[in-house]
Amino acid sequence: MKIAVVGKGGAGKTTASAVLARTLARRGEPVVALDCDTNPNLGLSLGVGDTETERLATLREQIDDGDGEHAPTWEDILDRYGADGPDGVRLSVITRIENPEPG
Amino acid sequence: MSGAGRVRVAFVGKGGAGKSTIAGTFARLLGRAGRPVLAIDSDPLPGLPYSLGVAVDDRPIPDDAVTEGPPGGPRWVLAPHMDPDTLVERHGRVCPDGVRYLQFGNLRGHVAALQKAQHAWSQVVSELDPHRWDVVGDLPGGTRQPFFGWAKYAEVVCVVAEPTAKSMLTARRLLNLSKSRWEPQTAVVASKVRSPGDVERMASRLGAEVVAAVPHSDPVLAADRRGAAPLDADPEGDFAEAVGVLVERVLSLYPAPAKEPA
Repeated sequence: MKIAVVGKGGAGKTTASAVLARTLARRGEPVVALDCDTNPNLGLSLGVGDTETERLATLREQIDDGDGEHAPTWEDILDRYGADGPDGVRLSVITRIENPEPG
Repeated sequence: MSGAGRVRVAFVGKGGAGKSTIAGTFARLLGRAGRPVLAIDSDPLPGLPYSLGVAVDDRPIPDDAVTEGPPGGPRWVLAPHMDPDTLVERHGRVCPDGVRYLQFGNLRGHVAALQKAQHAWSQVVSELDPHRWDVVGDLPGGTRQPFFGWAKYAEVVCVVAEPTAKSMLTARRLLNLSKSRWEPQTAVVASKVRSPGDVERMASRLGAEVVAAVPHSDPVLAADRRGAAPLDADPEGDFAEAVGVLVERVLSLYPAPAKEPA
C-alpha cells in the first residue's frame, strides 16, 4: 500500500502522515515514511527528534548542492538517508535527481 | 537599504504560519498611512487576496505583455510597449487602502501557461522604479522558493513562525539561509501567540529578537474561515494592533524619508 498526503501549508499534512505511519506500524505493518517536502520536518511529528530531523535535512541538502551521492537503489536510500523512528517506522528524506524551477 | 525611501519587505515562513494574513494586513496598514504600496505574490496558489480584501482572481498577466527574449537571457521578456510601471498600472489589482496587487496567476490554470506570466512578474519586480513603490511580498511556505532568487527584491525579510516545533525549525532554516544568500535584514515575527512564554521560547529557540508578537485572535480565525480580511473583520483588534507594531518596526529600519507620513 502506498499513500501520499497533500494539502495547503499548515493544513496538517505532516501531522496526519506521521500518525498514519505509526498507526499502521503498530498494527504490525512494515512502514516506510518518506519526507518529500522541500522543507522536511516529518521527523518532528514522527518523534525522531530535532537533531535527527536536521541531520537528514542536511544530508539531502548536500545532495542537492552536488556534494553528496545519490543512492542507486531504494534499499540504499532507506539505508543511507534514513532513520529509525518509534513503532518501527523507517523514515527517509528523499529528493529527485534534478531540481526543477523554484516554486 | 536602497536609500530610495521606499520599504521593500518579504514575508517567509512555514506553510500556515500566517504569512499571507500578516502580509496583507501589513500592506494595507502602510497604504492607510498614505504610502504607495505594491503587494506582490509569487505563490502559485496565492492566499494574499483574502487578507488584502479582494476576490480571488485566476487571471494571469496576459501573454502579450511579454515577447521572446534574445538568446542567453531569460526566455521571455517584457514586450517593447510594456514596462514595469505600465504593467502594474494595467494589471495590478486595486485593493482597499489604495494597495495595488500583482500576482503572476494561479496554478488552477495550466502550469505551462503561467511561464510567460512568471517571467513578466520577475522582470517587473526586479526593474520596478525603487522610488515609486513600497513593495510587500508574500512567498510560498517553506524554504525552497524564498532563497532561490524569488525574494531578492527584499531588503527586509520577515520570518513568520508559530510557537510550534515545526514552524520554528523552518524559521531557523530560513534565518540561516538568509545569512548565506544576499544577507537581507531579518525580522522574526511570532504568530498565533497565546502567552508571553510563547514569545520567550521563540526568541531563545531562534537566537533572535522577536520584533512583533502577533496574537492568536478569535475574530481573525473566524474571518479566515469565511475568507474575509482581518482588517475588515476586526479593524481595531489585537491582531491589527500587533501588525501595526511590525509596520513601525520595519519603517524604523529605514532612513528618515521612509517615515514620511501621508
